[in-house]
Amino acid sequence: MEVYKNDKSIELFKRAVKVLPTGIPGHLGPVQSQFIPTSDFPFYADRVKDSHFWDIDGNEYIDYMCAYGPNVLGYNNDIVDQAALAQMKKGNCMALPGALQVDLAELLVDTIEIADWSFFMKNGGDATSFAVMVARAETSREKIIRVEGGYHGVAPWTQGRGNAGVATADVSNNIIVPWNDVEAVKRAVEANPGEIAAFISCPYDHRVFQDNVLPAEGYWQAIRKICDDNGIILIIDDVRCGFRLDLAGSAKYFGFKPDLACYCKALANGYNISAVVGREGLKGAASNVFFTGSYWSSAVPMAAAIACITEMRKINAPKIMIERGEKLTSGLVEIGKSYGIDMKISGVPSMFYMRIANEDSLFMQQEFCAECTKRGAFFVSHHNHFTNCSLTDADIKKTLEIADIAYSIVAKNNPDKLRK
Amino acid sequence: MVNQSVKARCNMFGVLKNIEYLVVNDKECANLVAGKKIAIQFNVKGGPSANLSFDNGKAEMKHGKHKSNISLFFKSPEHFNKMVDGEANPIPVKGFTKIGFLTGPFTQLADKLGFYLKPTKELLANKDYFKANTEMTAYAAFHALCEIANYDPAGMSQAKQLHDGDLLVAVTNGPSITISVKSGKLTAKKSSCSNPRAILSFSSLEVAHKILNNELDTFTAMGLGDMSMRGFIPMVEHIDPILGMVANYLA
Repeated sequence: MEVYKNDKSIELFKRAVKVLPTGIPGHLGPVQSQFIPTSDFPFYADRVKDSHFWDIDGNEYIDYMCAYGPNVLGYNNDIVDQAALAQMKKGNCMALPGALQVDLAELLVDTIEIADWSFFMKNGGDATSFAVMVARAETSREKIIRVEGGYHGVAPWTQGRGNAGVATADVSNNIIVPWNDVEAVKRAVEANPGEIAAFISCPYDHRVFQDNVLPAEGYWQAIRKICDDNGIILIIDDVRCGFRLDLAGSAKYFGFKPDLACYCKALANGYNISAVVGREGLKGAASNVFFTGSYWSSAVPMAAAIACITEMRKINAPKIMIERGEKLTSGLVEIGKSYGIDMKISGVPSMFYMRIANEDSLFMQQEFCAECTKRGAFFVSHHNHFTNCSLTDADIKKTLEIADIAYSIVAKNNPDKLRK
Repeated sequence: MVNQSVKARCNMFGVLKNIEYLVVNDKECANLVAGKKIAIQFNVKGGPSANLSFDNGKAEMKHGKHKSNISLFFKSPEHFNKMVDGEANPIPVKGFTKIGFLTGPFTQLADKLGFYLKPTKELLANKDYFKANTEMTAYAAFHALCEIANYDPAGMSQAKQLHDGDLLVAVTNGPSITISVKSGKLTAKKSSCSNPRAILSFSSLEVAHKILNNELDTFTAMGLGDMSMRGFIPMVEHIDPILGMVANYLA
């Protein structure tokens, strides 16, 4: 099997570092993406289709990052793209919002269990920041409870004390509790009576670098009760999980009802739009918060979102992605076992996290992902992966063939770490 | 924000600790302490205590109070920091008969520290100087990093997120430093380790020099393959912001 080279990527990156901080700013950069070693990974994509992308060196990859989530129906999905193109011909960024804004809001209200209204913006971080502001507006309180390791974007309040550019004041209203720890939430509430505006969390613990952890039995119901008893707004950050677990919301998947829910990645199959949906009682607070941006009412992403959600409903997208994920991950586990490698899978299969559990570091995991990637199955070692609806049996079969080779190399290089 | 007490720790266990390196790697410095067996106790009111001992041509800087021939008192962390900057003198409280070591060899060692840690373009052109400067800067930076992680509020906030284990910082075909984490507390030692949980490596001393002197950012260096990280990366990720604070403390 051919081993890819990335000469053009490296050459372009050398140009990039002269004019762009870090060369590739943000989470797609080779460091943030944990391209270890960097020489084994592509840096720039040239084109995409369905579950595949081609880098600028012409190498083809089966993509399990799905642009970190937005690819839900398949890259360049014809139905979504045609809707977007049709709207583009009519108008995108205009002096007034397009009529589609109302259509999309109605569609979300009809799709997501807790939604009585929708509010649109561009990125997941916009959505989480807006949701926190709505909670503060509603409660006239300032503090929020967050879960350790939870990712809610890059706004200063979402980051850690000591991170570059983050002031102590930016994070001074955050109370951090461990995941799945109801008692810790109770203690935080008791220690700050009448001061907590919101509890914000992802539907489950899908932090990077660690096995993902689903909610314990009764966890969300207990959190709901604490929030109800203490006038705290319950916010679900469904930016990453949204529509990959249940079209009616990941909260429905886990059997509870938040007050606000944040959406982004799978909303429009790659077109730039995010949303906060909420219950009726918070519409007034959402109206009072001034929150807007130059492109937030652009019509093209809204057309794409309508087409995407409609199609996801038609085909039951979460079911497809979960089944695809189960098929892929069960194959990865089985092949790994044959080499004495314990590939541990965690999280929901449509956004599975995988880790070689033969060691408590990630050396073997990084080696495995690099060996897969340079043969055409794009895996990263730190983050949960994603399946999408266009992933075929042939894609999975080829991925497992690649994984077999990668496992054999990892096993050969780490004989003392293999399981008998 | 620079906390003077933390800065005193950085100066004590980052900068002054480099005397250990000097007496081994610089001939003049080796001659200054040859045959000497003496220990100096540093006590800073509201700050750290440390003991710098010389024996058999080697030096050792230890945390806390230990047996000494000379004891130096500092009224405050600021007082100690000014001494390191050459703007104040210590208050000897013990060892007046050994004061000659203080005004002689020790002062010359301190001058040599300044020589190696305050480079000029001309000095860096010398291969041996470049090596000593880079290695001493690295030792100072990573030892100071531990003090910041253990005592600076923002550093502690990052450190408490670290998992236990060893982070190996290594220059290919060059020196290594191991940073050990246990229950959010960091310690550093000038050597490699057999079972690191994560590895941060520089492809050459030149790359390490550029990184330590802010002439190259880590993201660019890693993207270009001049630096690499492997293993349990959260160890590197939470140490990186602390490393970013070192420049403020050692400025």
